[in-house]
Amino acid sequence: MQSLAPTQAAVATRQVSPMQGDSDTLEPRNPSFSINMEDRRESRANAPKATARELNFWYGTNQALKNIDLTIPERQVTALIGPSGCGKSTFLRCFNRMHDLQPDTRYAGAIDLRPDDINLVGPEVDAIEVRMRIGMVFQKPNPFPKSVFENVAYGLRLRGLRSRSALAERVEKALRAAAIWDEVKDRLNDSALALSGGQMQRLCIARALATEPEILLFDEPTSALDPIATAKIEELISELRDSVTILIVTHNMQQAARVSDFTAFMYLGELVEVGATSRLFTNPAKKATEDYITGRYG
Amino acid sequence: MAEREDMKVTDPLEGHTSKVMDQSLVDLRLHAVEMGGLVIDQVAGAVQALLNNDSTVAERVLSREPLVNDYDAKLDRDSITFLALQQPVANDLRVVRAIARVGLELERVGDESKKIARFAIRQEQQPLSPDPVQAVSRYLRHMADLSISMLRSAVRAVDEADPALARKVLAQDKELDAEFATALRQLMSFVMEDHRFLKSTIDTVFALKGLERIGDHAKNISQQVLYAVSGDEPRKAKSRPLPPAAADR
Amino acid sequence: MASAAEMSLQEIRRGLSRRKQLDKLFVLIGLLVLFACLGVLAILFFDLVRSGSSRFGWDFFTSFPSRKAERAGILSAWVGTSLIMLVTALVALPVGVAAAIYLEEYAPKNWFTGIIEINVTNLAGVPSIVYGLLALGLFVYRFNFGQSILSAGLTLALLILPIVIVATREAVRAVPKAIREAAYGLGATRWEVTKDHVLPYSTGGILTGLILGLSRAIGETAPIITIGALSFIAFLPPSPVSSEFPFLNFEWLTSEFTAMPIQMFNWISRPDQAFQANAAAAGAILLGMTLLMNAVAIWIRYRFRKKINW
Repeated sequence: MQSLAPTQAAVATRQVSPMQGDSDTLEPRNPSFSINMEDRRESRANAPKATARELNFWYGTNQALKNIDLTIPERQVTALIGPSGCGKSTFLRCFNRMHDLQPDTRYAGAIDLRPDDINLVGPEVDAIEVRMRIGMVFQKPNPFPKSVFENVAYGLRLRGLRSRSALAERVEKALRAAAIWDEVKDRLNDSALALSGGQMQRLCIARALATEPEILLFDEPTSALDPIATAKIEELISELRDSVTILIVTHNMQQAARVSDFTAFMYLGELVEVGATSRLFTNPAKKATEDYITGRYG
Repeated sequence: MAEREDMKVTDPLEGHTSKVMDQSLVDLRLHAVEMGGLVIDQVAGAVQALLNNDSTVAERVLSREPLVNDYDAKLDRDSITFLALQQPVANDLRVVRAIARVGLELERVGDESKKIARFAIRQEQQPLSPDPVQAVSRYLRHMADLSISMLRSAVRAVDEADPALARKVLAQDKELDAEFATALRQLMSFVMEDHRFLKSTIDTVFALKGLERIGDHAKNISQQVLYAVSGDEPRKAKSRPLPPAAADR
Repeated sequence: MASAAEMSLQEIRRGLSRRKQLDKLFVLIGLLVLFACLGVLAILFFDLVRSGSSRFGWDFFTSFPSRKAERAGILSAWVGTSLIMLVTALVALPVGVAAAIYLEEYAPKNWFTGIIEINVTNLAGVPSIVYGLLALGLFVYRFNFGQSILSAGLTLALLILPIVIVATREAVRAVPKAIREAAYGLGATRWEVTKDHVLPYSTGGILTGLILGLSRAIGETAPIITIGALSFIAFLPPSPVSSEFPFLNFEWLTSEFTAMPIQMFNWISRPDQAFQANAAAAGAILLGMTLLMNAVAIWIRYRFRKKINW
């Protein structure tokens, strides 16, 4: 259903109860009424894709994450919210070992990736391999100053894909998945920096999708964008949910409400509450969560 | 509205950028309309049962009453969830608010039908002669026709967001009130001739009143439609024509 | 009676015209100083050109030095200079870039790296004659390269190494962290990030640094005198390309040579007045070459900045 068109509902009405004229009004019909009481979003029961188990993290001597236990369900959007400095970005970056690029960082605990049960933060696991399986989209759109095609193809080239036709096919698939193909299909060899901010961010999403990651991480993906571009990216995230597990950090709670299936609230490095988004935003279990999302925090 | 015409960013016919939001709004509206269909059936069944002394039909009406309540509960829950998750503004917000209220009104119509159905069962168990119900059967039938027609139009107005249809319902309410007054007079003359079955007579008055109230609920539903469409406060939305400025929308 | 708003308005206006005058004064001083420097350079250049104008011509470029001033030319000098610059560039570029990449991308940030970094910048301040002595002992005698173009090129490469390293580091630092993060995020190794992103995007800065270094090296006299640049040679180093197998040889590296500054120095020190014109002409040409190289560096920087604007 693409629009608010009354016709769709009206069609259903005609099936449900007769609207023709005033005659025979007292003849009761017997359409069978049934009602699905389940909330659309909650009705999926999904297997876990990754589980953080007693995850701790230190920058030098400063402990940024304290005993986080969180399950990320497969092919759902999980949002992380919380005030600045609560550790949500830190937690996100543990999933693709971006912290390894900084000196003097330390993990304790585990993040188990299903189905192979690899510990993503384990020292025995190669960080490069982790990053090839887990994709990331950053806050400020950061396309390479290369052509649109080369941007999307870079991840594939790293994997050794050389054939021009195979690359072209995968690049097109990724650009379509990121809902930007129509806008760039005639400009594949133009510089990526010529695109608008929203287009650049969708290009970055395509770049991450090209390698078919198992989890896609979004680190405040729309903070640098205008409202229209933001809406498009949110819609894209909703669509991507069916094909890839998504973990998104956002400081905009309304965005978390609109876009996610599950929301986790973090504060000062700890996980305070996690639950279905529709429940958390209508009736959170913890007062701290309620204070934060109503704006009474601070 | 000149400013809005400049912002041809999204074609309004395509709906929101968020398909989830669109879908949720359509679902809400669909549920309200379905509930309306169910409730109309209930009213028709209850009056039919009363006029024909048919307790089978009355029982069926009673058995479907919980379903009406379920619909209302779901509409209520869904509209709250929609408000929390989608943060609608402007006409989206009014639509959601209106639909939640419509659910409430329809639930009350369901209650009225339930009362009439119960009365029908009592009548059937103890048939009376002369029967006060039969004395005003013409009026009962007419009022039922009218109130069901009003409900139908009101629900269709919800479905199609049609203010003209809504205003038509508001106009019909007067006719219903007049019919009620006439029916009462008829009943009074019946009672003066034969005052044996006072309880039944009083119950008949309640049945007539119930139908009049159903008409009122239909009127309230129409006022919610006008509120959603034009933004006028529901209480002020009488059956007057809209001022010229709002008619441009 | 002045209100509070009027009083503060007075305060605002009180020193305003004096402050604006000081502002203008500074602009004036800046412009004066700028024009003074440019003026000196312009005067020098025009003086050289005027003094050497009699000698400009095709034969000046294509003649060997000679005892007769009017027949002396700079053929061997500018060929020598060009070959030396070639060697310098070929040595300084990879070594400088590699060192800078290592320091920026790979080296851990500890006290040892800190010491290395300080010393790199210090190298730029070492007097060039010291480089000459180093080269004499190391390249000419110890490694036995002899008094050759190879030694000269290596010496000057050492001289300009700090410039190349610093320029490369600046260019590499200008590549935003976000780009590196994006590349790492896709699973690139550190070398792949360097090879595919950091180096290509800093090419502009690196080349600019190299050319600036070369334009400094082109005029360095002290080091190449020390390692024995001859001042009067009437032959050219052997050509690298020959008509017999293997068509390419490296004998020119080990040949004796001269360079433009040497030639100029030689002519200036002669008592014969006529040679002054030669020296002036050579000086003008050398200055012109330097300015040309700088212009090329600026143009390269402009072109790269247009393509890549963070």
